[in-house]
Amino acid sequence: MENSSTVIIDFDTFKQVGIVGMPPVDCIGQLNERQITIHDLDAKLVPQSIDGISPYLPKVYCAILRTVVLNAMHLDLDAIYIDVGPGKCDSALHVSTILGELLDIPIFRTRNQDTANYGTPVSTSKLDLASKFLQITEGVKSAAHYETCSSPCAPRAGFWGVPPRDFSVLAPFPNTTHIYGWTRCMENKTPANEALEKQYNPDIPTVFFAQSFCAKTALAKFLAHQHPHALFVDVDFHTGSSARAKIQAFLELSGALQ
Amino acid sequence: MILGDFGTSYCKFWDVSVPDSQPTVIATKDLPAGIEVTIATGHNGKRFSRQYINELIALARGGEALINEDTYVLLDCGSRDIKFVTIQNGDLKEMDWNTECGASMGFTIELLEKYYELDYTTMQAPERTFSVTCGVLGMSHIFDAVIAGTPVADAVASFIKGIAMNAYRFAGSPEKIYLSGGLCDNPVFINSFPCEVVPLGRFALLKGLEHYARKLEH
Repeated sequence: MENSSTVIIDFDTFKQVGIVGMPPVDCIGQLNERQITIHDLDAKLVPQSIDGISPYLPKVYCAILRTVVLNAMHLDLDAIYIDVGPGKCDSALHVSTILGELLDIPIFRTRNQDTANYGTPVSTSKLDLASKFLQITEGVKSAAHYETCSSPCAPRAGFWGVPPRDFSVLAPFPNTTHIYGWTRCMENKTPANEALEKQYNPDIPTVFFAQSFCAKTALAKFLAHQHPHALFVDVDFHTGSSARAKIQAFLELSGALQ
Repeated sequence: MILGDFGTSYCKFWDVSVPDSQPTVIATKDLPAGIEVTIATGHNGKRFSRQYINELIALARGGEALINEDTYVLLDCGSRDIKFVTIQNGDLKEMDWNTECGASMGFTIELLEKYYELDYTTMQAPERTFSVTCGVLGMSHIFDAVIAGTPVADAVASFIKGIAMNAYRFAGSPEKIYLSGGLCDNPVFINSFPCEVVPLGRFALLKGLEHYARKLEH
């Protein structure tokens, strides 16, 4: 296990690097400058079965971090940057320990406390919701400022939460859905911005999404209770038909799909 | 125009193109091959229709048609799951669908009646309640009670009351519940709720589909 604060990093030997969560913009910028390929290990990247990681992580565990370990085991990486600060979670800290034991590459722990606001044009745009999430999650691999993709739309619905492991949960939402929660913090490149994370719009029906076993589930449940027109949904590895049906019914019966 | 509610244990059909027609019920295991309806809902519905309405939406639309109030809780207890909608001043306030912890409760209640040769219409709601997590796990309480000398009918009634209490809490512990689903015909279940219960019968979801049938007609 290595730590970026104590080790001199020889970037020139790196061609492929994995990131977990959102390492600081400076760190991403250095990788960008050297044209090092960045893989977002939080996303689904490899076809291997998740069962392959069962010797290393419990089955009842965050699907995102299980995916991280699966990706790390099967990609040919030169190093991993894993954020373990207030912008990620304690579970990532423990996963960094496991990755350090499992892999023969440097694992750099970061603690992202960036405060420079990059803005949230994608979260408030009229793109379909899955495209918004794709743009935002792809955005973690670049330190560049955003080009405006489209003008903001008036919201008919809200999605609060982290990017889901299974994007099919996003299918029932209208294009006029605004994104809130940690995903908005991601786009703004301030993942530890708690005040931004807690924001929601009380005037629109909002789905508070919890990735099962994620620490942010507590905040999702709490805010859903505060919101006057909310649906709390907890989804694990795959989006079940009942979760999808609940969201679809909530949006239709709330008038968000009209 | 035939509407279908394809449940886990029973399927309900209604030909709304025939004036004054009444819905019919057949056991899902006896469903004829090749059947197709105009609009479907229910656990099995997608296979039998080109237009599918999900069960929560059908339930909410059924409530709009059947309940002449603008604030109410409508709870549907089926074979496999329970779901509810809370409407306040005409708008959706809350809804949920429990497919896990509500697992198989309606199915288990029917199974127990047949296995123990009981007749729920002649039984009373009990004082005693079993703490029931779900249909399958709750059966252990029945077996333990019977071993301890409790009459089978009393043990099963306590199990049913436990399920009713679960459903009541799931729906937010309201003062009044409109109830739909096959358990509307079970007096032990209905009388086990600690609140006023208004049974709507087992065709509330079909009534909800009628909303979409009228749209098709226009």
